[in-house]
Amino acid sequence: MIHLPNRRQVLALAAAALLPPVAARAAAMRVAAIDWGMLETLLALGIEPVAATELIQFRKIAVEPAVPQSATDLGLRGAPNYELLRIVAPDLIVISNFYEYQRPMLERIAPVFAQTVYEAGVPPYALAEAATLALGEKLGRQTEAKRYVDETAVEITQLGATLPPSPARVFVISLGDSRHFRAFGRDSIFGDVLTRLGLVNAWTDETSYSAAAPVGLEALARVPEASILIVSPLPADVGRSLPTNALWNALPAVRQGRVAVLDPVNHFGCLPSARRFARLATAALAGQSHG
Amino acid sequence: MAERTISDRTATSAALSPIALWSFLAALAALLFAWRVGMQWPAAPPGDGIDLDSVILVYSTLPRAAVAVLAGAVLGLSGLLLQHVLRNPLAEPSTLGISAGAQLAMTIASLYAPLLMERSQGLVAFAGGIAAVLLVLALTWRRGLEPVSIVLAGMMVALTASSVSAALILANGEYLFSLFIWGGGSLVQQDWEPTIALTIRLAAGVVAALMLLRPLTILGLDDASARGLGVARHSSRFLIIALAVWMATSVAAEVGVIGFVGLAAPALATLSGARTLRQKLIAAPLIGAVLLWLTDGLVQLAAGSGGERIPTGAGTALLGGPLLLWLLPRLRLFEWPHLGSNGTAPRKASRPWLIILLLLALALVAAIVALVVGRGPDGWSIAGGDLLTDLAAWRAPRIGVAAAAGAMLAAAGVVIQRVTGNPLASPEVLGVGTGAGAGLTAVLMVSATASLGWQLAGSALGSLAALIAMLALAAQAKFGAERLLLAGIAMSALCSAAITATIAMGHAQSYILLRWLSGSTGQASALDAGLALACLLPLTLPLFLAARWLDILPLGSDSARGLGVPVAGGRLMLIIVAALLTALAAMVVGPLSFVGLIAPHLARLVGFSHARVHLAGAMLLGALLMIVSDWLSRMAAFPYELPAGLFASLLGGPYLVYLLAKGVPRQG
Repeated sequence: MIHLPNRRQVLALAAAALLPPVAARAAAMRVAAIDWGMLETLLALGIEPVAATELIQFRKIAVEPAVPQSATDLGLRGAPNYELLRIVAPDLIVISNFYEYQRPMLERIAPVFAQTVYEAGVPPYALAEAATLALGEKLGRQTEAKRYVDETAVEITQLGATLPPSPARVFVISLGDSRHFRAFGRDSIFGDVLTRLGLVNAWTDETSYSAAAPVGLEALARVPEASILIVSPLPADVGRSLPTNALWNALPAVRQGRVAVLDPVNHFGCLPSARRFARLATAALAGQSHG
Repeated sequence: MAERTISDRTATSAALSPIALWSFLAALAALLFAWRVGMQWPAAPPGDGIDLDSVILVYSTLPRAAVAVLAGAVLGLSGLLLQHVLRNPLAEPSTLGISAGAQLAMTIASLYAPLLMERSQGLVAFAGGIAAVLLVLALTWRRGLEPVSIVLAGMMVALTASSVSAALILANGEYLFSLFIWGGGSLVQQDWEPTIALTIRLAAGVVAALMLLRPLTILGLDDASARGLGVARHSSRFLIIALAVWMATSVAAEVGVIGFVGLAAPALATLSGARTLRQKLIAAPLIGAVLLWLTDGLVQLAAGSGGERIPTGAGTALLGGPLLLWLLPRLRLFEWPHLGSNGTAPRKASRPWLIILLLLALALVAAIVALVVGRGPDGWSIAGGDLLTDLAAWRAPRIGVAAAAGAMLAAAGVVIQRVTGNPLASPEVLGVGTGAGAGLTAVLMVSATASLGWQLAGSALGSLAALIAMLALAAQAKFGAERLLLAGIAMSALCSAAITATIAMGHAQSYILLRWLSGSTGQASALDAGLALACLLPLTLPLFLAARWLDILPLGSDSARGLGVPVAGGRLMLIIVAALLTALAAMVVGPLSFVGLIAPHLARLVGFSHARVHLAGAMLLGALLMIVSDWLSRMAAFPYELPAGLFASLLGGPYLVYLLAKGVPRQG
């Protein structure tokens, strides 16, 4: 009997012919990521995803880990290109709870693996660790996952040890324009890492996940002794308007030089973002205490 | 004439003690302000170095109140000047597309010339605003700058500009946080710079307006009289328009889009008894200032520690929308010739059913092209064989949903235009689409995990309520085209403000609403498509059977009754069907498509004059428009998928504007 390839195999062949050769290991699962946090976790485990969303933006504002050029850009996170994903034909699609509404569509392409890292009011670091281990389990990378979780914890502890022993209060914010900011509370990865570095998050409310209703800069005056870490990228008008903003200039942190602008980090990331943020924040705070 | 005296009388009785009313509102705003100041009053006596309380008081609380008062006054003055010079009670920065034009310019500058944006945001905004208003004026020039045409062109320009902004932001994979704030309009202040800038604008505006009082008064007359009195009409008109745009875009650049004040303040001034232009020049800025100050006070009252719950820009719509709806029947408007009465006489097609067949064939061809032609990782391709079978499973539901939604909106548009006898009415213009959104919001507020059935029921009730409110208002005051449009704008703004406020809360519902607003067909499943297509037949069949009513109702109630049509019952039935169609379509493509306005017009233009062929033709054109839009939304920025409703307005909007521009010049 002659073996006829089924549709999926034909598509996979077509995709293999169309796409540049992937340096995939034999028998490795072809994985696609819709969620950015899952994407960076995959990369941290040494898995090169075949497709992921908004890669132009990821390379610009999440920066690390580097995404291989072979990965196909699936378009917007909120509206990924299902047709293209179908042509790429992955074996597994990883998402987070934010994208559950896409599940019926995605499951028509490949099995879906979902992890929850961000929940309102819950510090996400432990959930990110669990998600990393679960992903390692799913993809047969248990050892790598365990090692990455341990290394990250150790690195954060070591970085925390380099900071002065008296716990400092810190705001972590991203600027919306030269008048408004969004704060990262204890239910954000930055807020959770701050605590693990032995610092105190000056923002006691919860993180606002939507783009709307940002807070005016005067709210930063509530904790005068706190330092301010601004996560890049900065909006266009900040360069001109912030230096002349009277209230901003009156903030103790600004007058005493306790403000630093960090390189971009994924706002809703997992362990790789936690590590990157810990490194950038520690360097910035160390620079302040010396200068 | 008789109607005019009646509205005059109502205006006088409504203006019972306007000064007392405005003083009371101003006192209320002042009270809210005093409460803010009291909260921020420094606990410790100032002196030793850092006193953050007084810093916040001086650099945040006080300038915020100043900016609210100034921006309100500037917008009121700008709106008054525009309304006066264009002799159009509907003219204001947002109806003329000025705000959307400024936003588009700022989006483009942020993405492609950040340095320009950093240097002179105000100039960028002004350039965008003036370009939009010039476009609107150029398009309506041949219609003698007729108010309704101007507003329609302005809305189209605004919609197209905001579509392009949204597409640019989405296609770049960026969610420009700052533009989101800007679009919401926030009065948060941290120094006195915007206060100074706006003071200069206001002073310049007032001085210029007073100096131009005589030419201004004459420009308020019609062209022939103005010419007789020797005013250089066009140059002074443009000068004043440029001044108004400059003032409006300065506010936009400093604090973002604040809608409604420019529209409501002059109208309220007239209602409060300001008769002469000089009185209005004093009253409109004052009323604008009180409105915005009060709104901002209420917004701050509602704010929590985590930030403001409602952007002030949305707050003005929440406050101003009902106000405008209330005052509409009391407002005296210029009587202009009806758009329908002097538009191009529709030519009648000799064999309409042949054209219908042709359109059907065209729609089928479009569907097939959309099914097989697409982009892949390797560029353009025509799918065939197994690949086609596989991709069809993704493409067919989208095409089905798009076609069904297009046909539904077109049918609803035909019904609403015929029942109201108003060529500009449509589910989108009358706020029925956003009404569906408000209904959806209400259901989601009760339960974030409401089933699709409940969501559908909510949006159907919302659109029905919006439509009935519109028609009740229309019936109450024997509305002309202008009033109905103005009511529709108010209703849309009100519903959008409610939706914006809900999105701003940042709950799980926000994401559902955001997805709904962007109107993407991307999540359509075979079930959705089947459902939409299955609903299409039972909902539109009664319309075809009631075609005689649709033919007769535009002739007016009396003729209709004489011809044996049950006017009240017939209207109600038709309206319920139209509302259901709109709600279903809005569920899948969102509120911003304008297919319901455009398709009936296109069908009429093709030569379908009788209700039955008009309906069939409009539905086919609507389906065709949406199929093409959906395909374009998948192809334009591949692999980034853009909302389909956006392309429908991009395709249909300019064409409708072109139709307007082509229309015969106004008589006289």
